[in-house]
Amino acid sequence: MDLHNVLDFPILSLSIFLPLAGALVIWLFVRGDNAVRWAALIVSIASFVVTLPLALSFDTSTSHMQFEEFHPWITTFNINYQLGVDGISMPFILLTSLLTIICIVSAWQCITSRVKEYMIAFLVLETTLIGVFAAMDAVLFYFFWEALLIPMYLIIGIWGGKNRVYATLKFFLYTLAGSVLMLVALLAMYFEAGKTFSMLAFMDYPFDFTWQIWIFIAFFIAFAVKVPMWPVHTWLPDAHTEAPTAGSVILAGILLKMGAYGFLRFSLPMLPDASQYFVPFMVAFSLIAIVYISLVALMQTDMKRLIAYSSIAHMGFVTLGTFMFTQAALEGAVIGMISHGFVAAALFLCVGVMYDRLHTREIGDYGGVVNVMPVFAAVFLFFCMANVALPGASAFVGEIMVLIGTFEANPVYMGMSTKWVAIAATTSVVLSACYTLWMYKRVVMGDLVKDSVKTMKDMTVREFGFFVPLMVLTLWMGLYPLPFLDFLHVSVAHLIEQATTSKLDAAAALVQALPVIDAAHH
Amino acid sequence: MANVTFPFPFPEHLITLLPEMIVAVLAMVLLLIDVFITKGNKITAYLAILTTLLAAVATWSLQSSEVLVAFYGFFVFDQFAVYSKMLIFIGTALGMILSLEYMKNEVNIGEYYVLMLFAMLGMMLMVSANNFIIMYLGLELMALCVYVLVAYQREVLRSNEAALKYFILGALSSGMLLYGITFLYGVTGSFNFAVMGEALQHTDSNSHAALMLGLVFLIAGLGFKVSMAPFHMWTPDAYEGAPTPVTAFMSVAPKVAGFAILMRIVADLLPAVQHEYEAILTILAVLTIVVGNLAAIAQRNIKRMLAYSTIGHVGFIMMGLIAGTADGFSGILIYLSIYLIMTMGVFAIIILMRREGIQGELLDDFAGLSRVRPGYALAMGLLMFSMAGIPFLGGFWAKYAVFMAAVEAGHLNLVLFALLFSAIGAFYYLRVVKYIYFDEERVAFNFVESKPLQATVVAAAIGVVLIGVYPEPLMALCKQALGGLI
Repeated sequence: MDLHNVLDFPILSLSIFLPLAGALVIWLFVRGDNAVRWAALIVSIASFVVTLPLALSFDTSTSHMQFEEFHPWITTFNINYQLGVDGISMPFILLTSLLTIICIVSAWQCITSRVKEYMIAFLVLETTLIGVFAAMDAVLFYFFWEALLIPMYLIIGIWGGKNRVYATLKFFLYTLAGSVLMLVALLAMYFEAGKTFSMLAFMDYPFDFTWQIWIFIAFFIAFAVKVPMWPVHTWLPDAHTEAPTAGSVILAGILLKMGAYGFLRFSLPMLPDASQYFVPFMVAFSLIAIVYISLVALMQTDMKRLIAYSSIAHMGFVTLGTFMFTQAALEGAVIGMISHGFVAAALFLCVGVMYDRLHTREIGDYGGVVNVMPVFAAVFLFFCMANVALPGASAFVGEIMVLIGTFEANPVYMGMSTKWVAIAATTSVVLSACYTLWMYKRVVMGDLVKDSVKTMKDMTVREFGFFVPLMVLTLWMGLYPLPFLDFLHVSVAHLIEQATTSKLDAAAALVQALPVIDAAHH
Repeated sequence: MANVTFPFPFPEHLITLLPEMIVAVLAMVLLLIDVFITKGNKITAYLAILTTLLAAVATWSLQSSEVLVAFYGFFVFDQFAVYSKMLIFIGTALGMILSLEYMKNEVNIGEYYVLMLFAMLGMMLMVSANNFIIMYLGLELMALCVYVLVAYQREVLRSNEAALKYFILGALSSGMLLYGITFLYGVTGSFNFAVMGEALQHTDSNSHAALMLGLVFLIAGLGFKVSMAPFHMWTPDAYEGAPTPVTAFMSVAPKVAGFAILMRIVADLLPAVQHEYEAILTILAVLTIVVGNLAAIAQRNIKRMLAYSTIGHVGFIMMGLIAGTADGFSGILIYLSIYLIMTMGVFAIIILMRREGIQGELLDDFAGLSRVRPGYALAMGLLMFSMAGIPFLGGFWAKYAVFMAAVEAGHLNLVLFALLFSAIGAFYYLRVVKYIYFDEERVAFNFVESKPLQATVVAAAIGVVLIGVYPEPLMALCKQALGGLI
């Protein structure tokens, strides 16, 4: 097998297993809460450094998988340990390793019970997340995809809020029920595509139309739960609200992207005809997420719940862009995901900062925070504006590209004009401003009335510290997105080519060829 | 087993019975030794474990790639029998190890281990049976011993009740089994699996009704032994009432033996009636999966919950039978091996948590375990996630192997159904994790300190992780173990 790996070094394996190895070392050898904190921080920084070469040595001129690795794993079922990244998956790996550092720093003081288990859970979670984005074998992908439920279940259940048990069970069972359908689809594809689980082989194999439809539905349920799309989104507000701050950060920052990544990696290239066929449904679901969920967000009284609904609405933009099959829309979708990784993560951290002081997330319990926490108010405002997709912030780039792409798609793919889709989606710009800024007004602005708020102290250096990288990245991506887009161009172009090339002719040819091949054998 | 050529010269393959002879003779010797042993002495237990070990060594050293047949085709010794027997040995030995502490205050404890040995002997005969007579002999030997084992705590009321229920229903099922066998004998004129399978290929439509009747009763009778729904009624009561080590023993070893004989029958006897048995088994599998996974949710007692969990697992294992292919059978062996490890680990933890009386059996009793004993909590958590079939743990590959085989055999809808119920079933395993990790301690813990038990827990936890991360050796072993069956 010809492996494409410029570094001649298993960099992806190292990225996946360094956090796990660190977690093992911490479990066995590190004693004392503070030592555990520092050890976890060192491991997470080391893991981040290890993932940097993925971006630095990335070849933006090819759509081929890079940094590939291949080892037989379970030969009985032809399951291989096959890794590789392209421009679409690589940014998520860096995002994961970056957010893990922030999660560990953010937990420095607010997690005081079972610190060791907490840190181990996050490092294991990092392993599984990077594994998801690096896997190029479908079973390996599923392996990591499911395995991450274990640390996430524990994180929400142990360190979560009052209603944590309900939230974590709901999260676990929802996603598990969704993903078993994916497993069935993968097993069916294995036999159809000639006993292989290689995702690249699945992309090349001409599945006929009926197959594509059924597999698409199975994948859709699995991925839609993760994204989450309306109407299977109800686990997310509960999980977000009850999760500890860092848990919400990882949930919003990475976990939600896995669903959309699944669409990009599985549905579009493997099932192009079914993807085209289902465009109206996907657009409808996305628009409902954008408009209806934004309205729902407007009415929330719990800040974390509000941001959770805002996440669903933003992911609606991502799924909309994904199913427009234009370069701008797809790139916008990926940029939107990465940007949402920064912004939603930062917003949850902001809520976490306030929660650490007052132990409430109710909007009504705050008011006039700017008077006691001016620095925090500025940071919070920055990310609120970013959430609104103000020009200059990264979210703007994503949304505008999706909208442009949607307009572009107009004559090409659908009977109905996508112009109206784009117009409907644009309402989100207004709606997101409404719920975000209204929340900001009620929490931060106004007079200092409540006694509890008067006692709040401004952010510490540590707290400010973990916002800095997120602010820098949000601004950088907002003002000069070219370096990020460079990673995407070729990979996205290749994806669009795959997604718009029908497999039906090849499938029909295959069916016709079978009797001939049979005859040749006899 | 297509080419059983016999008669072999009678004494030639007698050596293949060496393991059975070792167990039978040593078990009787043990019964004599036991007369001189004072109460509380564990020497009989160690001797019984040693006997199991000897039988295992004998079986392993006798294995060959050939199919050896003794007693004119009554008794078959192939790789399939060897592997199934090894699972039975491990299950029995672990059952004995779990009994060391739990049963030490019982009277006549020597007989307890002897009964276990005889039950094991029965199972050994079952998996080597190539003939309904031997199969029935082994099955009854096993069943009678297990009835007594369930009732072993004479003064405990629910133990007696459980044994009585088990005995009455078991006797009924044996009757059904015999009834079914007579019909099949009537149709084919033989008790030998291969001969019967051959004869079934040529049956005419006149005997179809009798054949169907026989098939239904046969599956019902064997289904009882492996707790298929709707013949599962005895399982929760027997599991709850039996002494915990016996529960562990009977949830593993007889299941291995039962599925081994089912696989042999499906492979040798039933290819001619594939459609019919597939239909019957599919209905039973659907029922078993539904009953096991839904009823477990309502349980508060962990032994009862595990009883229903076993039923759920049996439903998944049946998918391999329904597939009826080599991959299906090796999937069953993979499932049984991993199931053995998980079950023994879980029961070891339950026994470790046994305080005065029956504490440690309610789910509530696990509350806050992670604070007190993080090691046990981690092991229990891993085993529960493994039973739920979440990856990087062995249980995932167990399910994967049988589901894969079922998909290949074209039972996609059944697999979809089973997987959805496995997701529903995950709930009650997660609930145990919830008690362990999310809840605060309610009652002070008081643990049994026992090195062998702790070693079992550690071995089981490491086992599920290792198999979960690298299942290839086990899968290759199970594939190889089909030699002689297909």
